[in-house]
Amino acid sequence: MTEFLSFATPGLPYGCVFALLGIGLVLTYQTSGVFNLAFGAQAYASALVFYECVAHGWPKPAAFVVSVVVLAPVLGLLMDRGLYRFVRTKPVLVKLVAALGMLIAIPAVFEIVFPAGNLYSPPSLFLSPSVVYFHIVGDPINGIELSTVVLTLLVVLLLSVMFHFTQIGLRMRAMAESPRMVELAGVDADSVGMASWMLSSLLAGLAGVMLAPVFGDLQALNFTTLLVAAIAAAAAGSLSSLPYTFLGGLLLGIVGELLSGYLPSGQVLSSGLRPGLPFVVLLLLLLFLPGLRRRWTKVNDPLAGVDPPPAPLVSASRDRSLRRRSRIGAGALVALFVVSSLTWVSPSWVFNLSQALALAIIFLSLVLLTGMSGQISLCQATFAGVGAFTAGQLAAHFNVSVLAGIVVAAVVAGAIGALVALPALRLGGLALALATLAFGLLADNIGFQYSWSGNGQSGISIPRPSLGPINFSDGRAYFCLIVVILAICILVVSAIRRGTTGRQLAALRGSELAAASIGINPTRAKVLVFSVSAAIAGVGGAVYGSLELGASANDFNTLLSLVFVVVVATVGVYTVDGAVGAGLAYVVLNVALSGNLTLRWSNLLEVIFGLGAVVYALHPEGAVEYVKRLTLERFTRRGIETEVLA
Amino acid sequence: MSGLLEVAGVSKRFGGVSALNDVSLEVAEAEAVGLIGPNGAGKTTLFDCVSGVTVPDRGDVFFGGRRLGRAPIYKRARLGMGRTFQRLELFAGLTVREHLEVSERERRADGRLWKDLLGRGGIRLEESERVDETLKELGLESVAGSPIEALSLGQGRLVELGRALIREPSLLLLDEPSSGLDSRETAALASVLNELRARRPISVLLVEHDLELVHAVAERVVVLDFGRVVSSGPLAAVLQEPAVQEAYLGATL
Ligand SMILES: Nc1ncnc2c1ncn2[C@@H]1O[C@H](COP(=O)(O)OP(=O)(O)O)[C@@H](O)[C@H]1O
Ligand SMILES: [Mg+2]
Repeated sequence: MTEFLSFATPGLPYGCVFALLGIGLVLTYQTSGVFNLAFGAQAYASALVFYECVAHGWPKPAAFVVSVVVLAPVLGLLMDRGLYRFVRTKPVLVKLVAALGMLIAIPAVFEIVFPAGNLYSPPSLFLSPSVVYFHIVGDPINGIELSTVVLTLLVVLLLSVMFHFTQIGLRMRAMAESPRMVELAGVDADSVGMASWMLSSLLAGLAGVMLAPVFGDLQALNFTTLLVAAIAAAAAGSLSSLPYTFLGGLLLGIVGELLSGYLPSGQVLSSGLRPGLPFVVLLLLLLFLPGLRRRWTKVNDPLAGVDPPPAPLVSASRDRSLRRRSRIGAGALVALFVVSSLTWVSPSWVFNLSQALALAIIFLSLVLLTGMSGQISLCQATFAGVGAFTAGQLAAHFNVSVLAGIVVAAVVAGAIGALVALPALRLGGLALALATLAFGLLADNIGFQYSWSGNGQSGISIPRPSLGPINFSDGRAYFCLIVVILAICILVVSAIRRGTTGRQLAALRGSELAAASIGINPTRAKVLVFSVSAAIAGVGGAVYGSLELGASANDFNTLLSLVFVVVVATVGVYTVDGAVGAGLAYVVLNVALSGNLTLRWSNLLEVIFGLGAVVYALHPEGAVEYVKRLTLERFTRRGIETEVLA
Repeated sequence: MSGLLEVAGVSKRFGGVSALNDVSLEVAEAEAVGLIGPNGAGKTTLFDCVSGVTVPDRGDVFFGGRRLGRAPIYKRARLGMGRTFQRLELFAGLTVREHLEVSERERRADGRLWKDLLGRGGIRLEESERVDETLKELGLESVAGSPIEALSLGQGRLVELGRALIREPSLLLLDEPSSGLDSRETAALASVLNELRARRPISVLLVEHDLELVHAVAERVVVLDFGRVVSSGPLAAVLQEPAVQEAYLGATL
């Protein structure tokens, strides 16, 4: 009993925080239709500001008021008014990218404002974490356990009073449980939405400040991954029941600590399972909770209207001669680019450009998946990792040439992609995104830790390929090879777009029901494209790993997957040039910013792409299409003018 | 079994609403049957049960002698069912032509990923010719290249009809094809359907409020009210029956 308790009680702070964040997720999802992946980032922001205030000698109550009572709701309100309210009727992808942009931008912005570097041992709110206050059946209860439990109980008490007795609370609860009914009853959804954003953000801020002392140092990553547990909690409540969400969160926290207590230590599975538990639970819930499945397939988005059709691509509206001219122009540009890289460009920039093109291959997988088929994957970096590790392990253990390894990498990544997609696809957009997120995090924590795959932090080495007499260890030679591989991948994607599969996907995007009514098997088409997309990501990962001569689990972590989605969406997810542009933009900005800026401003890249995501949410065509449209308009206007003159 | 389509004792409830209650009907090979009844009678729900959009609570649907059970929509389409939708279901973002091209490719059922990858997935000449033919039959040539969003409701219905027809179904389920069409367009639709049926044997189940169109196309009608079959037979005779008059009067009152 004492042993059980001593394992269970350290889970209480986690459980309370999962529960509070989960409640926030459910509230805002139901009242505004946005699944706010940024709550973890908001928790981090409040924790950071609390830390800074206390470090500057403020009394803790004042720091608490500023960081939690004021900052957190204001942040939530800003996000709702400035961004989320504009996307509530947009497709799932758009909402998700908007939330991901916030997830990436918020920590970066706060780290620019408070550039303190490593922040060790964050202060506790009111009880000391190292002091034992009393024992329950012999189990010591320390300050953080006591304070989180007391605070959470207090919050739950206040919430239930609010949900049962105040008008706005009743409306929020009603809306969480049945949004349509409330709208029919004539309640102003906007004001209820605002109130629930502020409340949920307050909960997130409180959770952040409460939990901070549990971590040795204050890092954004600790908080953003909390969110998956919160999602699992929300899933346990079928995304609508607040009490079940609360219970789910609490249990998840406690069971996680129990596992780490009882499982034998020192093995990958047991050390990975505790942090991996929320993802396992989330995956299982998504796949096997029938109520959840029904809810997710029926009311995929409580407030979403009909998806507006995507604007036709600029290339569709260009006339023949203009198209030919732009094709010649693009060809010349590519030739110039390649020739320059082979001659006067410095070796370090050849390396950078190689990186950009290797990334472009990975980004291309998103153009295929998201742009063409409207699906969302938050684990493309994981598939890239699968590719890289496959090629590396084959080279190390079976002496397989890396070029052959890349082909095998595509097959393995494609097969794993199909396995991930097959069960998750029935659930539709948001659930697929969450399932892939859980899968990616599981790979980070467990899959890539084994020595036979990614070998954890230490990683594995991946040699450069060679082909007969040609050895690609020379930078320029490998650059050429990457150009060729990228070109092949581009051909694959365009061939799919022009072929039967591409037209089937276009039809499915338009109306799945009608597509099925003419004999298209929706699941087959989607699994197929998901698998091909994973394969392309695998190729990109293998190429990238070989360029770097090695890769570790860190190089392909899930946070990177999120960044990838945001970057590609910002630059252009509908066209092949979007992927190439995204690769170039990502690397060039990275080099420019990290080379010339102090640590403080190195976060600027994240801010830029975070804001890019916001722009994307408001104008989903992406930067590349936008520029093309502008030039097309210029050209056609000039054409009309010349006609008039003649 | 005699009929191409046999609906045997199908029931379907939505919460407290009994949308279909022990409905049985039959459509023979090459026969056109009208399905009429007031709004909310369960006509669309019956179509959904037949085409696989929903699974009936009780009862069975047989098609060409095969029990369909829980067969998904696309499998039923491949067996030879085509349908249109009361609330238009068009492929947003595609042109009229592309609607027909997708469907024509599905009829041939020879699209494969590896063919796409070899660059052999484009539209072929024979396909293009069939699409042209269908466009002409339906009078849609002038809008062939237009995006679907630019079309009127009536034209949209014709595109849905063409998309179903180009697959050469043996059973065509039409859900209120004339709503949104003016009287001239409705007459044109009737002649398109009749010409089609004169050319090759195709069974039609037609849900329609415009009794003139029903009269022009269907050999007999089945009347549905509150999810039950209240009458069936030739249109003129059925309309004389008190139960039918009551159903319609009840609806118009
Ligand atoms: N998906 C659904 N959920 C709930 N009720 C439904 C649903 N579809 C149809 N109904 C109900 O079933 C009944 C029959 O509807 P429907 O088949 O559309 O009638 P009709 O096509 O004859 O006008 C109506 O009362 C309708 O409200
Ligand atoms: Mg109807």
